Amino acid sequence: MKKQFVHMKGTKDGFILRLDDQCAYVDLVEELKGKVSEGGIDGKVDVQLHLGYRYCSDEQLKELVEIVQQSEQLSVSKVQSDVLTVHESNQKILESQQDTYVGVVRSGQILRAPGDIIIVGNVNPNGRVEAGGNVYVLGKLKGIVHAGVQGNEEAIIAASRFEATHIMIADQVEVMSDEQVKIMNRTEMVCAFIGNDGRIMYDQIHTLKNIRPFLIASKGGS
Amino acid sequence: MGEAIVITSGKGGVGKTTTTANLGTALALQGKKVCLVDTDIGLRNLDVILGLENRIIYDLVDVVEGRCKIHQALVKDKRVDEKLFLLPAAQTTDKNAVTPEQMKSLIDELKRDYDYVLIDCPAGIEQGYRNAVAGADHAIVVTTPEISAVRDADRIIGLLEQEEITAPKLIINRIRHHMMKSGETLDVNEITTHLSIDLLGIIVDSEGVISSSNRGEPVVMDPANKASLGYRNIARRILGESVPLMAIEEDSKGMFSKLKSLFSR
Repeated sequence: MKKQFVHMKGTKDGFILRLDDQCAYVDLVEELKGKVSEGGIDGKVDVQLHLGYRYCSDEQLKELVEIVQQSEQLSVSKVQSDVLTVHESNQKILESQQDTYVGVVRSGQILRAPGDIIIVGNVNPNGRVEAGGNVYVLGKLKGIVHAGVQGNEEAIIAASRFEATHIMIADQVEVMSDEQVKIMNRTEMVCAFIGNDGRIMYDQIHTLKNIRPFLIASKGGS
Repeated sequence: MGEAIVITSGKGGVGKTTTTANLGTALALQGKKVCLVDTDIGLRNLDVILGLENRIIYDLVDVVEGRCKIHQALVKDKRVDEKLFLLPAAQTTDKNAVTPEQMKSLIDELKRDYDYVLIDCPAGIEQGYRNAVAGADHAIVVTTPEISAVRDADRIIGLLEQEEITAPKLIINRIRHHMMKSGETLDVNEITTHLSIDLLGIIVDSEGVISSSNRGEPVVMDPANKASLGYRNIARRILGESVPLMAIEEDSKGMFSKLKSLFSR
């Protein structure tokens, strides 16, 4: 009997399609097309694609997702891969680095960091901080902060006094208007993050442990 | 070998030139040999405030371009005997007539003969600013208790911190006591913590400053004026004395005059 390249597994969250990572890509596409068109499914089902150790380019990924979604009942909720390119890996290392800046970020200055940054001092109005990761301000934040510049939506911004004019996380922008005065008047430390609805939210610093449990998990230490 | 101090602010009209004239005069009155350098080429004012306008023969650009010797261009202030000199800016050209390198060698030459070289910086952060800062060892940032002036001071401090000079010091100019007290303007403490640099002194707002500038006579020459006291205190701090910050309260009547007015009724 011919070896199967596509394994289908049912879970309570929908199907998992495990794609063989050793066979030729064309064979895989062929079998996937066949499998998807078999039918016999009632209602709409979420599908997770597990690619294993196969490296797929962006076009190939798009093609695979399109094939699955040709069947109207199926929609791809997640694509999982065990492969990371050197570029992605370097990016991750950079983003997990932590810099410390001691001093004031003054008007007209731009402070850039590839990963997280801790600022010991104030960020003055019209001063700007751009970081690939999280931004922590041990002082008054009165300027502009952009966390997760490369698109990391998990990034957070924390400040002892949150009086920023603008904040940005990944591609979300927030202009701190009068409605945010509540946050500005808080005297305890505040953090900003992207909530489940995809918009920027604020909370007290101690809730961060629940919101981003893996914030420091990769940094080591005990 | 003397010290060169640049006086700058970013924003225009906060009192850089007035501060330069008065600090220079105050230092000269303390017995130091002082040279004031106006780098606001094209819009010179320092000579007017010092009342030396009609004594200018050569200017800074003439010196830099080798048309005269440096001592020929210096104008002596006769009120302070052999202590105060001015190197005026040119009025007919613009800031690009001089390069930072030329300024640096000029200031270095002046530092050999003078205890203090005060450089009056033009407003802005362009060529004129770069020229003024090029030869300086120290910097004084002048601001007023207005948000716009404080913003620009913040910007200029950021730029000064990138230069090879000592940490800049702050002068808060034109303080109006009643407005500061009622919270309509920023107070001294707020400004100092916001800019997070050392405070060198405060100058209260005084009409005497304007009238004396118009007469061409720095206000420090008038010992009764409160702004004059502020400038004298700053000069003493520059010389290394420790002088407490003056009170900004408006003159309230003393105990004695209160009693007197009580009996004279």
